[in-house]
Amino acid sequence: MENEKEQFNFVQQNTETSVTEIPRLQLLGETMTYHGTEMALGLVLLIVGLLVVRWIDRGLRAGLLKLKLKSQYVMTVGNVVYVMLVAMVIMASAVQLGAKPLNILRLITIITLVITGLLIFLRPFLPSLPFKTGNTVKAGNLLGKVEAITFINTRLRTFDGKTFFVPNRQILNDIVINYNYTQTRRVKIDVNVRYDQDLLKAKRTLEAVMTADPRVKPKPGPMVYVLNLTKDCVELGGRCWIDNKDYWVARCDLQEKTKLRFDLEGIRFAYPQLDLHMKTVALPDDDLKSSKPNRLRDTDYNELNNELNNEEMI
Amino acid sequence: MKVAEGLKIINEGWIHKPKGFRVKFHKQTETCIEPGLSPPAEAAPFTSDVTAWRYAWKLWQSTLDEHKTGTPGALYNITVVDDQDQPARFYATGKFEMYNTKNIDGPIEPSPEKNGER
Repeated sequence: MENEKEQFNFVQQNTETSVTEIPRLQLLGETMTYHGTEMALGLVLLIVGLLVVRWIDRGLRAGLLKLKLKSQYVMTVGNVVYVMLVAMVIMASAVQLGAKPLNILRLITIITLVITGLLIFLRPFLPSLPFKTGNTVKAGNLLGKVEAITFINTRLRTFDGKTFFVPNRQILNDIVINYNYTQTRRVKIDVNVRYDQDLLKAKRTLEAVMTADPRVKPKPGPMVYVLNLTKDCVELGGRCWIDNKDYWVARCDLQEKTKLRFDLEGIRFAYPQLDLHMKTVALPDDDLKSSKPNRLRDTDYNELNNELNNEEMI
Repeated sequence: MKVAEGLKIINEGWIHKPKGFRVKFHKQTETCIEPGLSPPAEAAPFTSDVTAWRYAWKLWQSTLDEHKTGTPGALYNITVVDDQDQPARFYATGKFEMYNTKNIDGPIEPSPEKNGER
């Protein structure tokens, strides 16, 4: 009995569904009959239009890059043109579907105004990335040039040629150094000279090397400091300011010129070394008469070894 | 004298600070030997003397074959000059140097002396 009831309910439900579906299908059929051509044409127009827009976008960007414009300008112009073309394609397909052009224009205007207004009002509250395309930045452990910024990630090209796609969320949570934020950077030229060298001559030479370079800024001028008097050497620190764009090459050039100029001037660099001083042991008078007065005897070595061993044991 | 005035004197008189460097040479053409600059006078100069000297040396090395055969393209009296067209000292030796010296009729600047010094 229960099975029969279930079967009856199932058949009843299906019948009700088919009864409600039929008018919908009829409506769809009628719509397709009357407006099918326009719908198909609109769809085709949309797909083909988007493909053409993509093709135009690629060509435009490639053409602008050939003109040697800055990549950020190319990106901005490309994005604006792309958005306008996509809007036009959508408008055209909507008109094909039967919408009135004026209504679509109004709709687009309203959407644009709403988005612009939201952006203006919410801009102070929106997290923004502390760099632009083309900047040299260090984000986390990555040092490189920003190639592109999207809503999701930032494309970073490191100086060894690798391309990283870093999520913007990760960048916002990390410490970022933007090397283009300021125009100049300080260069450090640290050298170690021996204690027996002429310190003032070394200072003058290092300052002259930095001052003579065209890339070094006259204000603030180069300075040389005695940083430390260590147990091995005198540490000299040369400091000068250079434009960001010249930083790396200028730093390498200054290091090279410093080394060569110090060689020319006869100033010797310090290097890690350990001076050993031989200590003579005072021997009894009898031993002084022996043939090896300045050397330790075997027995002395043994005694020294024993003492050392005892100390280690303790 | 104020410190600013003193610093101005130091900046102008202590160490010559050129604004840029160019490689100067004489080039053998089909008909004559003509002077030249690289980068040319109307272009921006090198900002690094290290780069300029390396460039000069490479130019010399690259035109050795032309020099041996005396064919057009050979470069003579290759040296580095500053933005005032004054010869620049080679930073490695502290001397005025010139690659592939050759006595050429007419004014030659800078004129090489013995051992490439002057």
